[in-house]
Amino acid sequence: MSTLSADLRRAAATAPGKEALVAGERRMTYAELDAAASALAARLHALGVERGDRVAILLPNSIEAAIAIYGALRAGAAFVPLNPTIKADKLAYVLSDCEATAIVTDDQLAALAEEASGHAPSVRHTLRAEQATDARGARSCPAASVSWPGGARSRPAPTTTAGPINVDLAAIVYTSGSTGRPKGVTLTHANMMFAAGSIVSYLGMHVHDRVLCVVPLSFDYGLYQLLMCVRVGATLVLEKGFAFPGRVLELLEREEITGLPGVPTIFQVLASAGAGAVAHDLPELRFLTNTAAALAPTTIEAIRAAFPQARLYSMYGLTECKRVSYLPPEQLDARPESVGIPIPGTEAWIEDDAGNRLPQGGVGELVVRGAHVMQGYWNDPAATAERLRPGRWPWERELMTGDLFRQDDEGYLSFVGRRDDILKSRGEKVAPKEVEAVLHQADGVRMAAVVGAPDRMLGQAIVAYVVPHDGAQLQAAVLRRHCAQHLEDYMVPSRVELREQLPTTPNGKIDRRALAEDAAATPAAR
Amino acid sequence: MGDTEVGTGVRAELRAYIEEAFLYLHPDVELRDHDQFLELGVIDSLGFVELVEEVQTRYGIAVDALEITEENFGSLDALVAFVERRR
Repeated sequence: MSTLSADLRRAAATAPGKEALVAGERRMTYAELDAAASALAARLHALGVERGDRVAILLPNSIEAAIAIYGALRAGAAFVPLNPTIKADKLAYVLSDCEATAIVTDDQLAALAEEASGHAPSVRHTLRAEQATDARGARSCPAASVSWPGGARSRPAPTTTAGPINVDLAAIVYTSGSTGRPKGVTLTHANMMFAAGSIVSYLGMHVHDRVLCVVPLSFDYGLYQLLMCVRVGATLVLEKGFAFPGRVLELLEREEITGLPGVPTIFQVLASAGAGAVAHDLPELRFLTNTAAALAPTTIEAIRAAFPQARLYSMYGLTECKRVSYLPPEQLDARPESVGIPIPGTEAWIEDDAGNRLPQGGVGELVVRGAHVMQGYWNDPAATAERLRPGRWPWERELMTGDLFRQDDEGYLSFVGRRDDILKSRGEKVAPKEVEAVLHQADGVRMAAVVGAPDRMLGQAIVAYVVPHDGAQLQAAVLRRHCAQHLEDYMVPSRVELREQLPTTPNGKIDRRALAEDAAATPAAR
Repeated sequence: MGDTEVGTGVRAELRAYIEEAFLYLHPDVELRDHDQFLELGVIDSLGFVELVEEVQTRYGIAVDALEITEENFGSLDALVAFVERRR
């Protein structure tokens, strides 16, 4: 029974009373999580959701989000995790693109879900998580029971109840594409089970682990924390975000956290906040993982000083295969800039433009093969063909990462740069075209170009250059506000620079390199 | 709404700063003194980094990582109490 839902069933059968989830004051055991997932699956079936349907999940990190993921899977559906800061236009686009049948959300996000569903005819049901309340109306704790009101127009339950098998679609995870339109990465149970197993093996995760997840479950990094914990029967402590380092340090201690996944922004904040002051109280903390972008050497130093007992893993990956590589922690001193070796059970190498494997030291595109490689982009054969090409065997496809790497003489990989113009800010991918399209919708904008500037906290800060129409009175603050109303938080430009014209290249295109240099040279305004 | 306080001194200074640095992105939000910044979505994790830096430089307070919590930085009320206690 090698499906994600079977992982949960096994964990619940092995240790029903074991703590599966902690969120704020609420705690849930594996037996409770398993029962809650089954209850939601039954509800979805009753509403007519069938095996293979897509169920969108619009929830912050919460017990309900975990139930929704396993409930959708148990119903035989594929889940589509969505960032809760998504705006209505994009949500409608994604729901239509994946032809979601149902959306699972909460009271706070229900209005957004309804607004977007109005433009997505496939969506027949909106379910809102409702925590069980006791007689006095207080939320019961532990909240073993969550009900799912909503979802009108009930249909007869499907006649077939056969569960999914591991070649079935398990999830579609949307990621920014360089065209500015999000692309749906399709992953089967086999893809996700393999990737989770591989990561579990190199981290040495086990049933006694307690992982603190402050990164969103809507992105694969957060999502896999849940999948991996359920795989090994460990405990996942969920936080809605990383706003208060004091809170995170308190949780590390109180919940006896053994693993903390983070991105550079998080580790930078922890380091600069002087986390070292309390680190000696954290004997349980065993591993820290970093991905999305490289840690600055000074941050590595500060983090290791603050958490001397924890092993720090530098990793690299992309949603299209979850993870490519990790650096064994004992190599960190020798190769601080490296993201290591391919994850167990996979291969990765570097090629030149003609497709020849490059010898050590050469710079070229990183190519990946293994059971973690996605099946393609949903509904987008052209984009799929750009990333996946025929592999060693007739049935196999290899992933062209689009990222430039170098390999040292012992095979360790180092990131060199991206081939496309996608930016990475706060560990999230940002397509300049997506931000530019939103800026173009604002009144008075004649031209807009978005570039990245190196930033200690963000990795790259998003900087927008805007040329107004003749006579238009534009204000940077108003344009940032416009962006905040139409883009996820991490895509909103840190700075908007108003110009009378933009530099161009000899063939008349906007000179993005010149703008990036300008952005890097101008000190951050905030 | 309604109970938006004008206030003086620290409260007025901090409200002015928060309006200038964060609230302009959210024209539809009327921030009351006890509203949680995070819940309203007006300040995110990086915003809090800026807010902490502002409090440190403006009032000359050394803020320890453990003190960066909702209880001390989560709302205007919390912020004012923290600054007045530590100044």
